[in-house]
Amino acid sequence: MTILGIPILTGVVFLPLAGLLLLLAIPGRRTGAVKAAANIVTGLEFLATLSLLLRFNPGSADMQFVERADWIRAFHVQYLLGIDGISLLLVLLTSLLTFLATLSSWKAIAERVKEYYAFMLLLEVGMIGVFVSLDLVLFYVFWEVMLVPMYFLIGIWGGERKLYAAIKFFLYTLFGSVVMLVGILVLYFQYHTFDLLAMLESGSVLPLALQSWVFLAFFLGFAIKVPMFPFHTWLPDAHVEAPTAGSVLLAGVLLKMGTYGFIRFSLPLFPDASRKFVPLLVVLALVSIIYGALVSLMQKDMKKLIAYSSVSHMGFVMLGLFTFSPLAVKGAVLQMINHGISTGALFLIVGIVYERRHTRLISEFGGLSSRLPLYAAVFLIMALSSIGLPGLNGFIGEFMILMGTWNVNWVWAAVAATGIILGAAYMLWLYQRVMFGRLENPANQTLKDLTVREFATFLPLILLAFWIGVFPKPFIGLIDKPVEKIVRIVNPAAVPERAFPFSPAAGRPSSPTPALEVR
Amino acid sequence: MDQATLVSGLRYLVPEVFLLAAAAAAMLTHLFFRKRGHRWAGLVSLAGFLAAAALLVFAPRGAGDIFSGSLAVDRFALFFKLSFLVSGILTVLLSFRFFDVEGSEPGEVYYLIPLAVVGMMVAVASVDLVSTYVSFELFAIPSYILAGIFKKDRRSGEAGIKYFFLGTLSSGIMVLGMALVFGLTGETQYASISGLLGGASGRLVLAGMILFFAGLFFKAALVPFHMWAPDVYEGAPTPLVVFLSTAPKMAVFAVLVRSMVALFAQNEVHWTQIFQFIAILTMFWGNIAALIQKNVKRLMAYSSIAHAGYIAIGLAAWGETARMAILFYVPVYVLMNAAAFGMILLIRKGGTFGESVDDFRGLAAKSPLAAASLLVLLLSLTGIPPTAGFMGKYFLFAAAVEKKMLLLATAGALNSVISLFYYFRIGKAILFETDPDGTPLDRSLNPQLILAAVALALLVLGAFPSLLGEFAASSILGT
Repeated sequence: MTILGIPILTGVVFLPLAGLLLLLAIPGRRTGAVKAAANIVTGLEFLATLSLLLRFNPGSADMQFVERADWIRAFHVQYLLGIDGISLLLVLLTSLLTFLATLSSWKAIAERVKEYYAFMLLLEVGMIGVFVSLDLVLFYVFWEVMLVPMYFLIGIWGGERKLYAAIKFFLYTLFGSVVMLVGILVLYFQYHTFDLLAMLESGSVLPLALQSWVFLAFFLGFAIKVPMFPFHTWLPDAHVEAPTAGSVLLAGVLLKMGTYGFIRFSLPLFPDASRKFVPLLVVLALVSIIYGALVSLMQKDMKKLIAYSSVSHMGFVMLGLFTFSPLAVKGAVLQMINHGISTGALFLIVGIVYERRHTRLISEFGGLSSRLPLYAAVFLIMALSSIGLPGLNGFIGEFMILMGTWNVNWVWAAVAATGIILGAAYMLWLYQRVMFGRLENPANQTLKDLTVREFATFLPLILLAFWIGVFPKPFIGLIDKPVEKIVRIVNPAAVPERAFPFSPAAGRPSSPTPALEVR
Repeated sequence: MDQATLVSGLRYLVPEVFLLAAAAAAMLTHLFFRKRGHRWAGLVSLAGFLAAAALLVFAPRGAGDIFSGSLAVDRFALFFKLSFLVSGILTVLLSFRFFDVEGSEPGEVYYLIPLAVVGMMVAVASVDLVSTYVSFELFAIPSYILAGIFKKDRRSGEAGIKYFFLGTLSSGIMVLGMALVFGLTGETQYASISGLLGGASGRLVLAGMILFFAGLFFKAALVPFHMWAPDVYEGAPTPLVVFLSTAPKMAVFAVLVRSMVALFAQNEVHWTQIFQFIAILTMFWGNIAALIQKNVKRLMAYSSIAHAGYIAIGLAAWGETARMAILFYVPVYVLMNAAAFGMILLIRKGGTFGESVDDFRGLAAKSPLAAASLLVLLLSLTGIPPTAGFMGKYFLFAAAVEKKMLLLATAGALNSVISLFYYFRIGKAILFETDPDGTPLDRSLNPQLILAAVALALLVLGAFPSLLGEFAASSILGT
């Protein structure tokens, strides 16, 4: 499928790059024009990704819109793009969040405006590229490309300890990725191709010992990104110091690359090693859930609280993925989207008061709801979505994960469920301390409620939160087939649930013990 | 050698002879032009380099060996020769501005560089012990003079002396190794020696090989034979470091590769371990030592040592992939190091150029073009896509993984992470910090444009590595 002669995925990946070149042509003094151009480009990019839906066939588990060309012939590296439902959802999430993050930066970024938007657009190229690449080298290139603009977004427009946070982010993630690169090369000399589709079609898997090593190499790259306990220490620094838009994209998109990597590469390429390492992964996921939530409870800084809550939420996603139950894996993919929506929104929410007050300390606030009713409503919806209140998006994802997990191992599900309770505790307590009580701090007396632009950035996220919460079928429909295809590889005994999880027959595999020997 | 072989051989050396003539012309120009003789000499040598490059592309090839089997005419040699010319051109261009600012006029530079390049062009084609040694001295001697050419600067003098002593020492070691090999076989031509040695592992054979390699390691500044390099690079005039840190090292690697293919071809078992050890040691040493440097020149000196270590991965993981990877890395190394030292010409400080990392603070505000170029350069040096530096390392690591040297590949990969730390100290200064002292940008556009051109080349080769990769793949030796 092409648009104006350009293959559509190439167009989607490189549209922001074209926009970047356009942006560079605008003189830096004309900040208004720069901002407008950047917003238009990210808006167009969102529309372009939406247009993918028109021709996308959700009933198929295969890669669609595949583009293939030789890139480095000497090494059989290809320019190979393609998307399935999982990638499509993440691409949509990326382009939406980038658009909203750009919109939210209108007032927040006052200096070096042109550079800022240039890095945002570059970041978008990298992020979208990661989700559509099917050649491992190409994937790696986009994976790394995206590090650089994020490093600068944190380092230039960040908070007080921005230099430390920026280099820490860069070093941690680069460390994980270079180890992954060695893993990719080992794969190449086994399969003699970097083409993921060809590797899977070849039907052969590596011997378990080698699989385990390569799995661990990939694990390091992905787990640092997710981040899983104990690789999470870069995250609070990066999130707290990053500018609002940077935090939104970090939490909303960058973390998803880790879990996306697991589902796209680790599970199907190393099925035996994945099964072998289930105990390790599940324990780490459960520790992440509980630890992230407990640490969140302790935070004095709103942004840090939300940052640690990401560790907890991403733990859920990891737990769902490594149960290999189709239901839980679908829940995990949906939860990736949900986390992008709710945590992205929460970072925007913190950004709003930070822009007005230049502090994020919870103790500085209190009673804001009387002064900022609209803001309070938005905050409440997003906090509840993050907690997982039925009727909102978070519930669906977490419920699917827990239900799928329960069928595999009820202890895991029980431990994870305490994470939900803790999640409700820190989130509601945060809301209570910031919003309720009496408006005592004089600095808060003159705060202004959301402007139209600010509300406009939240509106799509709120609508999506309700949409997924009430009628998730179109979203699950997109990921149904691809997830089942992947789960079949890693866990052939799993029986796919056809029906929606809330119907009585669903969620209960016919064999009581799915092919796991980890009970 | 009769006259007929000589004349028929010379046909293949037209570029070298032309460059030699250009050097002579530059010397005369410098002598006879009273006013701005050095500038005219520079232009003559620049023209000579460009013409030699053009002649090289059209020079006849594929004749087998010439001069009774002392020189080879092959694409491998051509590939290196072109890289040397690129290094020479960049050096001459950067020298113009540098010597204008420094106020001295060492016009000798403009004929010493082409002279040294002629020596290297012969060295990479040598398939005979005698021509190898002679051509080595042919480029070594001008290099010593270049390092010490700044008579008013004691650092430069020290650099010249140090380079001279250690360079001669290493030549001595190398020639001792050659003597052992010659003594054992009674032959000087690689092909005949290789046939006679036939993979023998007697003590004398190994001693000869190891001494020969050790001399070359010295010249390539591989750890533990690297001690001279940081001092020489720090002391020598900056644009000349662009030359000294690139061309001679690459010539050494060419000779190493050729000797491994043609001379000690059947002794592979004996050298793999050595190179693996040297590669790991060099990468770690270079990168860790660079971590604590505050002077950009010294920092880049250690960085160039580390990069030679990456190339040594290719020597250890010997095979077709490795030879292609080495060839790909050579021009990339030349471009990256030229820019790494060339960046020092950006900032003016007093009567000279700012060399400290702090001098680069706030460069992004002063010149967005220079800052963007340096950013690309730093990414390429670290090995982050989409730059040529990434592709180069990627090929080298691939070669190591192909030979199941996972430890080596992982060590290389981890070194990228270490190097990120110091490269981005510069990146941080450029983009994140503001300049409190107001050190001005050099008003000449020359270094900025050269840096931008190099950065563009690094990006293009990073995005389309086949442009260079196909050429490299078709130029490997011994297929």
